[in-house]
Amino acid sequence: MTFWLNSVSVGIVLGTPLAYAALGELIAERAGVMNLGVEGMMLIGAVVGFIVTVRTQNAFLGMAGAVVAGAALASVHAVMTVGLRVNQIVMGLTLTILGAGLSAYLGAGYAGRRPGGEINAIPIPVLSQLPVIGSVLFNHDVFVYAVPFIAIGIWLLIYRTRFGLWLRAAGEQPGAADASGVPVFLIRYLAVIVGGGFAGLAGAYFSVVYTRSWAEGMTGGRGWIAIALVIFGTWNPIVVLVGALIFGFVDGLNFQLQSVGVPVSSHLLAMMPYVFTLVVLIITWTRLRRRRVGMPEALGLPYEREAR
Amino acid sequence: MRIAVPVAAVVAGLVAGGVILALGGHDPIDAYNSMWEGSLGSSDGIEATLIKACPLVLTGLAVATALRIGLWNIGGEGQLIIGATAATGVGLYATSLPGPLVLPAMIFAGCLAGAMWATIAAIPRALIGLNEIIVTLFLNYIAILLMDHLIFGPWADPKAFGFAYSRSLPDAAVLPVIPGSYVHVGIVIAVLVAVTCWWLMERTPWGFSVRVAGGNARTAEYLGLHISRRMVIVLALSGAIAGLAGAIELTGVTNRLQDGISVNYGYSGVLIAFLARGRLLGVVVAAFLFATLVVGSYALQTTGVAQPIATIIEALIIVFLLAGDAALAFRVHMTRPPHALEPATAGVRS
Repeated sequence: MTFWLNSVSVGIVLGTPLAYAALGELIAERAGVMNLGVEGMMLIGAVVGFIVTVRTQNAFLGMAGAVVAGAALASVHAVMTVGLRVNQIVMGLTLTILGAGLSAYLGAGYAGRRPGGEINAIPIPVLSQLPVIGSVLFNHDVFVYAVPFIAIGIWLLIYRTRFGLWLRAAGEQPGAADASGVPVFLIRYLAVIVGGGFAGLAGAYFSVVYTRSWAEGMTGGRGWIAIALVIFGTWNPIVVLVGALIFGFVDGLNFQLQSVGVPVSSHLLAMMPYVFTLVVLIITWTRLRRRRVGMPEALGLPYEREAR
Repeated sequence: MRIAVPVAAVVAGLVAGGVILALGGHDPIDAYNSMWEGSLGSSDGIEATLIKACPLVLTGLAVATALRIGLWNIGGEGQLIIGATAATGVGLYATSLPGPLVLPAMIFAGCLAGAMWATIAAIPRALIGLNEIIVTLFLNYIAILLMDHLIFGPWADPKAFGFAYSRSLPDAAVLPVIPGSYVHVGIVIAVLVAVTCWWLMERTPWGFSVRVAGGNARTAEYLGLHISRRMVIVLALSGAIAGLAGAIELTGVTNRLQDGISVNYGYSGVLIAFLARGRLLGVVVAAFLFATLVVGSYALQTTGVAQPIATIIEALIIVFLLAGDAALAFRVHMTRPPHALEPATAGVRS
């Protein structure tokens, strides 16, 4: 019983950064821009967040720095793909490689150091005293608590506001949206940059909050899992959040199984999230193809006003 | 313009890299000087560059080959690692093989394993249209963990004291060197593979049919071409080339399976193929350029500059290349620019 409770608790913590990164990607994709640079933006966020935390001894400043860094790298993606209409796939991959290189370069002197500031768990009064679920659900840091509200907020933004309608229009029918006065380019720029900020935050969650250390390539491909999560979540923020928590749980099981001494190689256990993602991806995709739900119609296509 | 933009992009990438070096408190002129000395400026450096170019030519070819049918094989890294792993398995366990057969058997195993690994991504792409980029990427992480499992577990060198490498391979498993140098023959093999791929894709009817399928799926269907079958074959071929890179790196350089047998070769292959504009022979040139950068950056490390600078410059070159192409497309806007690398099926959907 404690084994499963611990797994759920760890799963929530590990699912949180996945959720941030995936929600960021969702915003960009809803506007019609695929950002395959999430992994690079997470790494840049992780290293900048860590460096700022070490320098200022304030972990919240570190997280803010990470958001800015992720958004800065994403703005390159925005200028290139929205402004210059460069192939989104190539640009995203290049930014992932650039982010990996830059973060390794910047973080060279920081491996093995401890950040000064920290972000503590805040037990919620009363609720955290509940038997069984209290410590599992209500004894986390502020970023964990915020994530369901952010997911609901994004849902409301997309489906219940004028801006959300514009966002969807830019991702579904940019030509029609542009003709009816929606600022398609502005929305695409904003969506990509905000999405990058989310990725930066997700990366810093690993370095500043979770492991409290920096190591080269420390996000270990979770940026790609975040991209896959948007697909299983059928571009719906609530489903994406649930998906992220399930993946966090699978990821966390690995550590839990190791700590109870399951006689399976830790490397094989560490494969679980990737294999699980692949299997679920294949199943969801087969289903998606039949109904074509969710995927923005103009995803991956640059919008050319002249070619309308 | 086909050549001018890549050349300008390389120059701009080096200049931007210089700015980053200067911001880090290093003298960029000094840094580039020692990079030159360490790579093309000395005979040792030239040999090191040739050795480093071998896996990069092959991973670049793997990507460029898959692009012929409009697929992005981002899994070169994993296919290379699986290729090296399979070759190690043969080298360690097929001890009854006669000496001269050991190397061919290992190399064959490497190619086969790489092809199979790529096929895992090719089949869902061909059957249900699942994006091959994400699948090939995930397979990279799975391949690395599989290799780690073997080198920390069953294949671990008992004398390694917890370091991550396998037992050493037998002497029969060492790739010969080019006489009079330290350079193993892998680079010759790589260039031969490049020429073969070029011939296959540009000079045979099958290669033409692949390009038709990659260029315009609808035309290919009207012509009665089996696109899915070609996708699987081309991606398997692409994986085999990356697997070959793994087997060669193993037998020519490391002589045992170890962590870091691939130094992002698979990912660099994507950038190389792009810099070469998907041209199979151009890949050889671009791979040499990247090899020079990487080897040069090793020399930089001794002067206290972190090695990832090579990766940064590589990525910046591609950013400038993309920007340059886009800027040109804006200037002459009467017709849509011909994009060799953007066949209809290369989009996110389809």
